[in-house]
Amino acid sequence: MGEFLEAAFEKFIFKVKVGYLYSREEFWADIQGSVATVGLTDFLQKSRGDVAFLETVEPGLEVKRGDEIGKIETIKATFGIMAPVSGKVVEVNPEMDASPYLINHDPYGGGWIYRIELSNPEADKGQLLQASQYFELMKNKIAQEAKKLYG
Amino acid sequence: MGEKRKKVVVLPCSGMGKVFGALARETTYELLERVRPHQVVTTCLPLLVIKDPDAVALVTENPVITIDGCPKDCAKKSVEALGVQVAKTYEAIKFYKEHKDLKPEGLAEVNATGRKLAAVAAEEVARMVDELAAGEEK
Amino acid sequence: MDIQVAKVGVVSCSGEEIPEGTLCRLACRRVLDERPGETVTICLPLFIAGGEEERTFASNYPTITVDGCDKLCAAKATEMLSGKPSKSLSIPEILQKHGLPPPVKLRHFGPEEEAAVKAVAAEIARAVDEVLEEE
Repeated sequence: MGEFLEAAFEKFIFKVKVGYLYSREEFWADIQGSVATVGLTDFLQKSRGDVAFLETVEPGLEVKRGDEIGKIETIKATFGIMAPVSGKVVEVNPEMDASPYLINHDPYGGGWIYRIELSNPEADKGQLLQASQYFELMKNKIAQEAKKLYG
Repeated sequence: MGEKRKKVVVLPCSGMGKVFGALARETTYELLERVRPHQVVTTCLPLLVIKDPDAVALVTENPVITIDGCPKDCAKKSVEALGVQVAKTYEAIKFYKEHKDLKPEGLAEVNATGRKLAAVAAEEVARMVDELAAGEEK
Repeated sequence: MDIQVAKVGVVSCSGEEIPEGTLCRLACRRVLDERPGETVTICLPLFIAGGEEERTFASNYPTITVDGCDKLCAAKATEMLSGKPSKSLSIPEILQKHGLPPPVKLRHFGPEEEAAVKAVAAEIARAVDEVLEEE
């Protein structure tokens, strides 16, 4: 298996990074030991457009999986950043202030948003989707969009 | 009789799929037609890629400002691919970030609010045009 | 894995320097809005600068290029980067065919330019139909 699973629709290629875990709300978590790095999926950033404004929470905040931990505003929409894991925010990507477009440009790499020290890694891992599972979910969403557009 | 002033080239990305491409273009036209009509010139980006001699000469012999509509930075990259250093780069989204009350819409062309934002953006870019033109005259 | 829909990529001249470039873009946009199920816009600057998605699409699907002048940037770039387009249209030729004068404004087209936008859009739509019939 390569680095990404890919699905093409029209001219768009939607990528899913292998090895990450995914929430149904379209956020990924890369869990290394007791710390998770989190960000937006490629599908979400492509659907919502270029990030213009980003509001983040401060390091030190305790969060629960599903909590809103920030806001993103694009030209198309404003939406919440939903924590895919529970724990304490230990770092906000320092590049986000000057370069929030990294979320669009490199959603699984330089576009990470938070590092979170996990309070219950096993519980989180149990709730999140493996890359292959999320890939199927994403393909269904794309198929639904296609049906809406073209009948 | 004064020396002929060098022109400043302003290149928008003009991407078709995003509003900020249309904003980049409208900003360039504001400069060309209203704000700095005797100083600013433009050319078509693809002409640089197919190495049209006139287009290449224009960007090689004059300072260049690029205005890109998205982080892919097509305008900037097209110029740099010729070995030319861009004097100043802008991302059109920056103008919206600084003027959140002027939210542009439209893909082929921006709407009325987008035109207002382009007018504001053009005034800012014009200051850089003046700086570059003055620098070239020294 | 692809979600397959019959599509034609429309590569429009980005023509910042000439009014025909604006005409080209507006007409292409009109066709894209009226035929969303059949057409996709390929962003020419991104296509040229190495856009993976634009180039992949253009390699796998038929393309129609629409150029604003005889420098033929869209046609040449498409052929150079992903293969000969199925059809190459030229704004000056279309205007001549329909007996329409070229536009003089770079932007903010109005009723005076509407006939030209309609004619070009119709020719692009006809080309899309022909290409889809061949597929």
